[in-house]
Amino acid sequence: MRLDGCRRTGILMRHNATLLLKEPGPLASRLVMPLVAIAVFAPLDRAALGTRGGPSQAVTGMLVLFSMLGLSVVGTSLLSERMWHTWERLRTTPARPAELLAGKAVPVALVLVVQQAAVIGFGAAVEGFHVANVELLVLALAGWCAALLAMGSALAALVRSQAEFSAAQDIGGFVATSLGGALVPLAEMPAWARHVAPASPGYWAMAALRGAVAGQTGTVLRADGVLVVLAAAAAMVGVSRVRRAPSRSSRM
Amino acid sequence: MLRADRLVKRYGGRLALDQFCLQVAAGEIVGLVGSNGAGKTTFVEVVTGLVRPEAGALEVGGIDALSGRLDRALVGAAPQEQALYPPLTVRQHLHLFGALSGMRRAGLKRAVDATLGELGLEGVADRRAGLLSGGQRRRCQTACALVASPPLLMLDEPTVGADPETRRALLQAVTSRATAGAAVVYTTHYLAELEELGATLAVVSSGRVIARGSQAELLSRLPCRLRVSFSGGVPEGARRHGTVVGDDLTFLCSDPAAALARLIADAPGARSIEMQRPTVEDLYSHLAVGYAA
Repeated sequence: MRLDGCRRTGILMRHNATLLLKEPGPLASRLVMPLVAIAVFAPLDRAALGTRGGPSQAVTGMLVLFSMLGLSVVGTSLLSERMWHTWERLRTTPARPAELLAGKAVPVALVLVVQQAAVIGFGAAVEGFHVANVELLVLALAGWCAALLAMGSALAALVRSQAEFSAAQDIGGFVATSLGGALVPLAEMPAWARHVAPASPGYWAMAALRGAVAGQTGTVLRADGVLVVLAAAAAMVGVSRVRRAPSRSSRM
Repeated sequence: MLRADRLVKRYGGRLALDQFCLQVAAGEIVGLVGSNGAGKTTFVEVVTGLVRPEAGALEVGGIDALSGRLDRALVGAAPQEQALYPPLTVRQHLHLFGALSGMRRAGLKRAVDATLGELGLEGVADRRAGLLSGGQRRRCQTACALVASPPLLMLDEPTVGADPETRRALLQAVTSRATAGAAVVYTTHYLAELEELGATLAVVSSGRVIARGSQAELLSRLPCRLRVSFSGGVPEGARRHGTVVGDDLTFLCSDPAAALARLIADAPGARSIEMQRPTVEDLYSHLAVGYAA
């Protein structure tokens, strides 16, 4: 039975990867936009923060900003299933809810990883971005990816339409990442913004990434801990809404 | 193959299934008929695992379907709402649902090719679902339920909005699967289809089955309609037997021979006699209205 479950999960992963690749536009834009933004902002950041601090701000800031916008990949993949009524259709197959969710989450997680790898790689190759501890960087990115997946799933489960999702993601994502210091270093922001920043997921993502850049294990673990708790809470919301998804007969 | 015993399902204050009972044997096609909101779709959703009843028992192939032990590959479902992935081709849809039911490699390919042929989808096998016509989408939807040859098929209004060619292809596919031994639960508002399928009937009203049996059995309980034409108008003595329209007298009767004998005794000289046997439509109207009353 467990082998069958693994097989089904593999089938669903391939299926969802196919769906993602059939519409490559959003994936391409989420890859290209941060690279362009880094190239544009890095000189400004270098002038303001120095040759080390500048690229660090540019790369980590754009990574957090554009991966938050990458929530759209997560949310759209779930919302599309609702719009097409295919989620209910899948629930009538032998695939269990955990297999359905894993089949959907893994390809999307890979998209996020590719995006982040591209941003980090470009930053290192072109802007001289340097990380003191690569293992800490991987840990930081893993925590942030988990939080993004879970937040995207929860948001998609809560909204009623693609338009609502786009509005929530655009406004919420931009506010969360700006407050986190992704666009402007936190130290340069107004006092009220510095005060409310810890309420933003972007703040903890930036903290984890900066900790990795500086090789500060304690900082990375603390920030990742917050991101994992956030991911768990968001995942519970998403899974409970998926399990309680109203059937057609209940809406009649 | 399918045994539902006193299923109960509530949505808030609304009782969607009220002691719903139904048995379907292998090779049988059961036409589930009833008005909107009668409980047909709720029953289909209980069997396909989308909805859990509050009470009652459900067995598929002798296995308790409510215990979580049922292999869902035993049930092929085609929901009423179209549920296709617009970017995927017809062939990719069949591969997906066949693979999720446990089919692999050569066996899966054979089943996909056979199902494409059975439903006349070979010509559009590699076309995206988003570019299919309405009838082709209906056939693709049903094909996804048929590809793994499950022993129980739950088809919820599979021909709604379908053109005649699509309807014919779908009915032929359903008949051939039943002939091969599958049990089929077929919900529809097109009652003539059930006559074409030779389906037994289960009439649903207010969350329960109010009549169950073969069409012949259920229809034999209904009166026939007789229309007697007279030359020069319906005689006075005959008018009390029924409704007069022009030169015709129309009335319902359970025993046509006895009714005609009485009529002829009162008013000889009928020009022609026409008998209309009750149809499935008449059965539904009679039962559903009677139950509601």
